[in-house]
Amino acid sequence: MISTKTLIEQNNEKRELLTKENEKYYDDLLLYIRLQMRLSERQSEEILMELLDHLLDGQKEGKTAIEIFGNDPKGYADEIISQIPQEELRNEVSFYGQIALNLLGWVLMIRGLIYLVIHPFKEVDQSFSLFSFLIIGAVILLNIVFVIWFVFKTIRRSLFKEGVRQPNWKDRIQVGIAGGAGMVIVILVARFLPKMGPSIFFPWYASLIIGALFWIVSRYMDKKMKANF
Amino acid sequence: MTLRSQLLKGVLEGCILAVIEKEPVYGYELSKKLQEAGLLDVSEGTIYPVLLRLQKNGLIRGKMQPSESGPNRKYYYLTKEGEEALQLIAEEWEKISKPVQHLMNRRGNDD
Repeated sequence: MISTKTLIEQNNEKRELLTKENEKYYDDLLLYIRLQMRLSERQSEEILMELLDHLLDGQKEGKTAIEIFGNDPKGYADEIISQIPQEELRNEVSFYGQIALNLLGWVLMIRGLIYLVIHPFKEVDQSFSLFSFLIIGAVILLNIVFVIWFVFKTIRRSLFKEGVRQPNWKDRIQVGIAGGAGMVIVILVARFLPKMGPSIFFPWYASLIIGALFWIVSRYMDKKMKANF
Repeated sequence: MTLRSQLLKGVLEGCILAVIEKEPVYGYELSKKLQEAGLLDVSEGTIYPVLLRLQKNGLIRGKMQPSESGPNRKYYYLTKEGEEALQLIAEEWEKISKPVQHLMNRRGNDD
Protein backbone atom coordinates (compact mmCIF):
# COMPACT_ATOMS: atom_id res chain seq x y z
CA MET A 1 0.00 0.00 0.00
CA ILE A 2 1.13 3.49 -0.84
CA SER A 3 2.30 5.39 2.26
CA THR A 4 0.64 8.53 3.58
CA LYS A 5 3.92 10.38 3.14
CA THR A 6 3.99 9.47 -0.56
CA LEU A 7 0.36 10.59 -0.89
CA ILE A 8 1.27 13.99 0.52
CA GLU A 9 4.27 14.30 -1.81
CA GLN A 10 2.16 13.37 -4.83
CA ASN A 11 -0.46 15.88 -3.74
CA ASN A 12 2.20 18.61 -3.66
CA GLU A 13 3.34 17.75 -7.19
CA LYS A 14 -0.15 17.48 -8.67
CA ARG A 15 -1.34 20.76 -7.15
CA GLU A 16 1.11 22.60 -9.39
CA LEU A 17 -1.03 21.60 -12.38
CA LEU A 18 -4.06 23.50 -11.11
CA THR A 19 -5.12 26.83 -12.58
CA LYS A 20 -4.81 29.85 -10.27
CA GLU A 21 -8.53 29.96 -9.58
CA ASN A 22 -8.87 26.22 -8.92
CA GLU A 23 -5.73 26.24 -6.82
CA LYS A 24 -7.08 28.86 -4.46
CA TYR A 25 -10.31 26.91 -3.99
CA TYR A 26 -8.50 23.61 -3.46
CA ASP A 27 -5.81 25.03 -1.15
CA ASP A 28 -8.47 26.34 1.21
CA LEU A 29 -10.17 22.93 1.27
CA LEU A 30 -6.84 21.24 1.87
CA LEU A 31 -5.74 23.49 4.73
CA TYR A 32 -9.15 23.39 6.38
CA ILE A 33 -9.28 19.58 6.29
CA ARG A 34 -5.64 19.05 7.32
CA LEU A 35 -6.06 21.34 10.33
CA GLN A 36 -8.58 18.88 11.82
CA MET A 37 -6.07 17.14 14.07
CA ARG A 38 -8.48 14.56 15.43
CA LEU A 39 -9.30 13.04 12.05
CA SER A 40 -7.55 10.01 10.62
CA GLU A 41 -4.59 11.38 8.69
CA ARG A 42 -4.67 8.47 6.26
CA GLN A 43 -8.36 8.94 5.40
CA SER A 44 -7.97 12.72 5.15
CA GLU A 45 -5.10 12.41 2.68
CA GLU A 46 -6.94 9.81 0.61
CA ILE A 47 -10.03 11.96 0.16
CA LEU A 48 -7.88 15.04 -0.52
CA MET A 49 -6.13 13.11 -3.28
CA GLU A 50 -9.46 11.98 -4.75
CA LEU A 51 -10.79 15.53 -4.77
CA LEU A 52 -7.57 16.76 -6.41
CA ASP A 53 -7.65 14.04 -9.09
CA HIS A 54 -11.29 14.85 -9.80
CA LEU A 55 -10.55 18.55 -10.05
CA LEU A 56 -7.64 17.92 -12.44
CA ASP A 57 -9.78 15.63 -14.62
CA GLY A 58 -12.54 18.24 -14.65
CA GLN A 59 -10.08 21.01 -15.39
CA LYS A 60 -9.10 19.19 -18.59
CA GLU A 61 -12.72 19.50 -19.67
CA GLY A 62 -12.76 23.18 -18.80
CA LYS A 63 -14.68 22.88 -15.52
CA THR A 64 -13.93 25.02 -12.49
CA ALA A 65 -13.76 24.00 -8.84
CA ILE A 66 -16.96 25.94 -8.17
CA GLU A 67 -18.80 23.96 -10.84
CA ILE A 68 -17.55 20.68 -9.42
CA PHE A 69 -17.71 21.22 -5.66
CA GLY A 70 -20.26 24.03 -5.42
CA ASN A 71 -20.04 27.67 -4.41
CA ASP A 72 -19.91 27.00 -0.67
CA PRO A 73 -16.42 25.55 -0.12
CA LYS A 74 -16.64 25.76 3.67
CA GLY A 75 -20.00 24.00 3.76
CA TYR A 76 -18.64 21.34 1.43
CA ALA A 77 -15.49 20.87 3.53
CA ASP A 78 -17.63 20.54 6.68
CA GLU A 79 -19.70 17.86 4.98
CA ILE A 80 -16.55 15.95 4.04
CA ILE A 81 -15.06 16.34 7.53
CA SER A 82 -18.20 15.00 9.20
CA GLN A 83 -17.74 11.73 7.28
CA ILE A 84 -14.00 11.18 7.84
CA PRO A 85 -13.38 8.72 10.67
CA GLN A 86 -11.47 9.84 13.76
CA GLU A 87 -7.82 8.97 14.16
CA GLU A 88 -7.32 5.75 16.11
CA LEU A 89 -6.52 6.43 19.75
CA ARG A 90 -3.35 4.35 19.47
CA ASN A 91 -2.02 6.55 16.67
CA GLU A 92 -2.95 9.72 18.52
CA VAL A 93 -1.26 8.59 21.73
CA SER A 94 1.94 7.60 19.93
CA PHE A 95 1.93 10.88 17.96
CA TYR A 96 1.73 13.12 21.02
CA GLY A 97 3.81 10.73 23.11
CA GLN A 98 6.58 10.90 20.57
CA ILE A 99 6.57 14.70 20.59
CA ALA A 100 6.60 14.83 24.41
CA LEU A 101 9.43 12.28 24.65
CA ASN A 102 11.45 14.14 22.04
CA LEU A 103 11.03 17.42 23.91
CA LEU A 104 11.87 15.89 27.28
CA GLY A 105 14.87 14.15 25.74
CA TRP A 106 16.30 17.44 24.50
CA VAL A 107 15.63 19.21 27.81
CA LEU A 108 17.44 16.49 29.75
CA MET A 109 20.38 16.34 27.33
CA ILE A 110 20.83 20.12 27.41
CA ARG A 111 20.59 20.14 31.22
CA GLY A 112 23.20 17.37 31.36
CA LEU A 113 25.52 19.24 29.00
CA ILE A 114 25.23 22.52 30.90
CA TYR A 115 26.02 20.82 34.24
CA LEU A 116 28.86 18.88 32.60
CA VAL A 117 30.48 22.12 31.45
CA ILE A 118 30.03 24.18 34.62
CA HIS A 119 30.33 21.64 37.45
CA PRO A 120 34.18 21.52 37.44
CA PHE A 121 34.30 25.29 38.00
CA LYS A 122 31.36 25.94 40.22
CA GLU A 123 29.49 24.10 42.93
CA VAL A 124 26.02 23.36 41.52
CA ASP A 125 23.03 21.70 43.03
CA GLN A 126 22.37 18.80 40.68
CA SER A 127 19.07 17.80 42.23
CA PHE A 128 15.58 18.85 41.36
CA SER A 129 12.30 19.08 43.26
CA LEU A 130 9.79 16.62 41.89
CA PHE A 131 6.57 18.64 42.19
CA SER A 132 8.09 21.89 40.92
CA PHE A 133 9.49 19.98 37.97
CA LEU A 134 6.08 18.48 37.16
CA ILE A 135 4.35 21.86 37.43
CA ILE A 136 6.83 23.54 35.08
CA GLY A 137 6.49 20.64 32.64
CA ALA A 138 2.70 20.98 32.68
CA VAL A 139 2.92 24.75 32.10
CA ILE A 140 5.23 24.23 29.11
CA LEU A 141 2.92 21.60 27.60
CA LEU A 142 -0.18 23.77 28.11
CA ASN A 143 1.67 26.66 26.53
CA ILE A 144 2.55 24.58 23.44
CA VAL A 145 -1.03 23.33 23.10
CA PHE A 146 -2.35 26.89 23.43
CA VAL A 147 0.00 28.34 20.80
CA ILE A 148 -0.78 25.54 18.31
CA TRP A 149 -4.51 26.00 18.89
CA PHE A 150 -4.19 29.75 18.41
CA VAL A 151 -2.19 29.42 15.17
CA PHE A 152 -4.69 26.90 13.77
CA LYS A 153 -7.60 29.14 14.69
CA THR A 154 -5.95 32.07 12.95
CA ILE A 155 -5.31 30.05 9.79
CA ARG A 156 -8.83 28.65 9.75
CA ARG A 157 -10.26 32.13 10.01
CA SER A 158 -8.19 33.28 7.04
CA LEU A 159 -9.63 30.58 4.73
CA PHE A 160 -12.51 30.81 2.25
CA LYS A 161 -12.17 34.55 1.74
CA GLU A 162 -12.76 36.21 -1.59
CA GLY A 163 -9.78 37.44 -3.55
CA VAL A 164 -6.11 36.69 -3.24
CA ARG A 165 -4.88 35.61 0.16
CA GLN A 166 -2.64 38.36 1.44
CA PRO A 167 -0.26 38.35 4.34
CA ASN A 168 -2.26 39.70 7.21
CA TRP A 169 -0.13 41.77 9.59
CA LYS A 170 -2.74 41.88 12.30
CA ASP A 171 -2.84 38.06 12.41
CA ARG A 172 0.93 37.80 12.49
CA ILE A 173 1.26 40.29 15.34
CA GLN A 174 -1.46 38.49 17.30
CA VAL A 175 0.28 35.12 16.89
CA GLY A 176 3.59 36.72 17.87
CA ILE A 177 2.11 38.22 21.02
CA ALA A 178 0.43 34.93 21.97
CA GLY A 179 3.72 33.05 21.52
CA GLY A 180 5.71 35.70 23.42
CA ALA A 181 3.22 35.86 26.28
CA GLY A 182 3.41 32.09 26.64
CA MET A 183 7.20 32.23 26.85
CA VAL A 184 7.08 34.95 29.49
CA ILE A 185 4.67 32.91 31.60
CA VAL A 186 6.89 29.82 31.37
CA ILE A 187 9.98 31.81 32.35
CA LEU A 188 8.20 33.56 35.25
CA VAL A 189 6.86 30.26 36.60
CA ALA A 190 10.27 28.61 36.29
CA ARG A 191 11.95 31.55 38.03
CA PHE A 192 9.61 32.14 40.95
CA LEU A 193 8.10 28.74 41.66
CA PRO A 194 9.35 27.62 45.11
CA LYS A 195 10.99 24.20 45.48
CA MET A 196 8.25 21.72 46.24
CA GLY A 197 8.14 17.99 46.77
CA PRO A 198 10.93 15.51 47.37
CA SER A 199 14.35 16.54 46.14
CA ILE A 200 15.89 14.04 43.77
CA PHE A 201 19.59 13.93 43.03
CA PHE A 202 19.98 13.81 39.28
CA PRO A 203 23.62 14.28 38.20
CA TRP A 204 24.68 15.49 34.77
CA TYR A 205 25.61 12.06 33.38
CA ALA A 206 22.22 10.57 34.36
CA SER A 207 20.52 13.53 32.74
CA LEU A 208 22.57 13.06 29.59
CA ILE A 209 22.04 9.29 29.35
CA ILE A 210 18.31 9.31 30.12
CA GLY A 211 17.79 12.30 27.80
CA ALA A 212 19.59 10.48 24.98
CA LEU A 213 17.49 7.36 25.65
CA PHE A 214 14.25 9.36 25.46
CA TRP A 215 15.41 10.99 22.26
CA ILE A 216 16.36 7.65 20.65
CA VAL A 217 13.01 6.11 21.62
CA SER A 218 11.15 9.10 20.17
CA ARG A 219 13.12 8.82 16.90
CA TYR A 220 12.34 5.13 16.78
CA MET A 221 8.61 5.77 17.36
CA ASP A 222 8.65 8.43 14.65
CA LYS A 223 10.27 6.06 12.14
CA LYS A 224 7.87 3.28 13.00
CA MET A 225 4.82 5.52 12.65
CA LYS A 226 5.96 6.77 9.27
CA ALA A 227 6.62 3.22 8.07
CA ASN A 228 3.17 2.11 9.17
CA PHE A 229 1.22 4.76 7.34
CA MET B 1 -31.55 23.24 -3.63
CA THR B 2 -33.90 22.31 -6.43
CA LEU B 3 -36.83 19.97 -5.87
CA ARG B 4 -35.18 17.39 -8.09
CA SER B 5 -31.93 17.36 -6.17
CA GLN B 6 -33.83 17.08 -2.89
CA LEU B 7 -35.69 14.03 -4.18
CA LEU B 8 -32.45 12.63 -5.48
CA LYS B 9 -30.50 13.03 -2.27
CA GLY B 10 -32.41 10.23 -0.59
CA VAL B 11 -31.78 7.71 -3.34
CA LEU B 12 -28.25 8.73 -4.28
CA GLU B 13 -26.70 6.09 -2.00
CA GLY B 14 -28.65 3.39 -3.79
CA CYS B 15 -27.66 4.74 -7.21
CA ILE B 16 -23.99 4.83 -6.27
CA LEU B 17 -24.10 1.29 -4.88
CA ALA B 18 -25.80 0.13 -8.08
CA VAL B 19 -23.06 1.66 -10.26
CA ILE B 20 -20.28 0.15 -8.14
CA GLU B 21 -22.00 -3.26 -8.23
CA LYS B 22 -21.62 -3.36 -12.04
CA GLU B 23 -17.89 -2.70 -11.88
CA PRO B 24 -15.39 -1.07 -9.53
CA VAL B 25 -15.02 2.65 -10.29
CA TYR B 26 -13.13 5.68 -8.98
CA GLY B 27 -14.74 9.00 -8.18
CA TYR B 28 -14.53 10.70 -11.53
CA GLU B 29 -15.79 7.63 -13.39
CA LEU B 30 -18.64 7.31 -10.94
CA SER B 31 -19.80 10.87 -11.52
CA LYS B 32 -19.58 10.30 -15.31
CA LYS B 33 -21.66 7.12 -15.06
CA LEU B 34 -24.31 8.81 -12.96
CA GLN B 35 -24.52 11.58 -15.54
CA GLU B 36 -24.66 9.09 -18.41
CA ALA B 37 -27.55 7.41 -16.61
CA GLY B 38 -29.35 10.73 -16.82
CA LEU B 39 -28.77 12.05 -13.30
CA LEU B 40 -27.43 15.37 -14.58
CA ASP B 41 -28.42 17.20 -11.41
CA VAL B 42 -25.91 15.43 -9.20
CA SER B 43 -23.23 18.06 -8.80
CA GLU B 44 -20.02 16.08 -9.05
CA GLY B 45 -18.68 16.93 -5.63
CA THR B 46 -21.71 15.54 -3.79
CA ILE B 47 -20.62 11.96 -4.40
CA TYR B 48 -17.60 12.24 -2.10
CA PRO B 49 -19.37 12.74 1.23
CA VAL B 50 -21.64 9.84 0.23
CA LEU B 51 -18.66 7.65 -0.70
CA LEU B 52 -17.06 8.41 2.66
CA ARG B 53 -20.25 7.53 4.50
CA LEU B 54 -20.69 4.26 2.57
CA GLN B 55 -17.09 3.42 3.36
CA LYS B 56 -17.51 4.21 7.04
CA ASN B 57 -20.57 1.97 7.18
CA GLY B 58 -18.64 -0.83 5.49
CA LEU B 59 -20.85 -1.03 2.39
CA ILE B 60 -17.96 -0.29 0.03
CA ARG B 61 -14.19 -0.37 0.35
CA GLY B 62 -11.61 1.65 -1.53
CA LYS B 63 -8.40 0.36 -3.00
CA MET B 64 -5.62 2.33 -4.64
CA GLN B 65 -4.66 0.79 -7.95
CA PRO B 66 -3.44 1.90 -11.38
CA SER B 67 -6.21 3.24 -13.61
CA GLU B 68 -6.66 2.53 -17.31
CA SER B 69 -4.94 5.78 -18.15
CA GLY B 70 -2.01 4.95 -15.86
CA PRO B 71 -1.90 6.88 -12.57
CA ASN B 72 -3.15 5.45 -9.29
CA ARG B 73 -6.80 5.98 -8.43
CA LYS B 74 -8.92 4.87 -5.52
CA TYR B 75 -11.33 2.27 -6.87
CA TYR B 76 -14.43 1.38 -4.91
CA TYR B 77 -15.66 -2.17 -4.49
CA LEU B 78 -18.95 -3.40 -3.07
CA THR B 79 -18.61 -5.43 0.13
CA LYS B 80 -20.87 -8.30 1.20
CA GLU B 81 -22.76 -5.85 3.43
CA GLY B 82 -23.00 -3.49 0.48
CA GLU B 83 -24.62 -6.17 -1.70
CA GLU B 84 -27.19 -6.86 1.01
CA ALA B 85 -27.88 -3.16 1.52
CA LEU B 86 -28.31 -2.62 -2.21
CA GLN B 87 -30.74 -5.55 -2.40
CA LEU B 88 -32.77 -4.02 0.40
CA ILE B 89 -32.77 -0.57 -1.18
CA ALA B 90 -33.85 -2.04 -4.54
CA GLU B 91 -36.77 -3.84 -2.88
CA GLU B 92 -37.84 -0.75 -0.96
CA TRP B 93 -37.54 1.39 -4.07
CA GLU B 94 -39.76 -1.04 -5.96
CA LYS B 95 -42.41 -0.69 -3.25
CA ILE B 96 -42.39 3.10 -3.53
CA SER B 97 -41.74 3.71 -7.20
CA LYS B 98 -44.56 1.55 -8.61
CA PRO B 99 -47.39 3.18 -6.65
CA VAL B 100 -45.91 6.66 -7.15
CA GLN B 101 -45.57 6.03 -10.88
CA HIS B 102 -49.16 4.81 -10.96
CA LEU B 103 -50.46 7.86 -9.14
CA MET B 104 -48.56 10.22 -11.40
CA ASN B 105 -49.62 8.41 -14.56
CA ARG B 106 -53.35 8.52 -13.85
CA ARG B 107 -53.31 12.29 -13.39
CA GLY B 108 -55.60 13.91 -15.88
CA ASN B 109 -57.40 10.66 -16.66
CA ASP B 110 -60.98 10.75 -15.47
CA ASP B 111 -61.84 7.46 -13.92
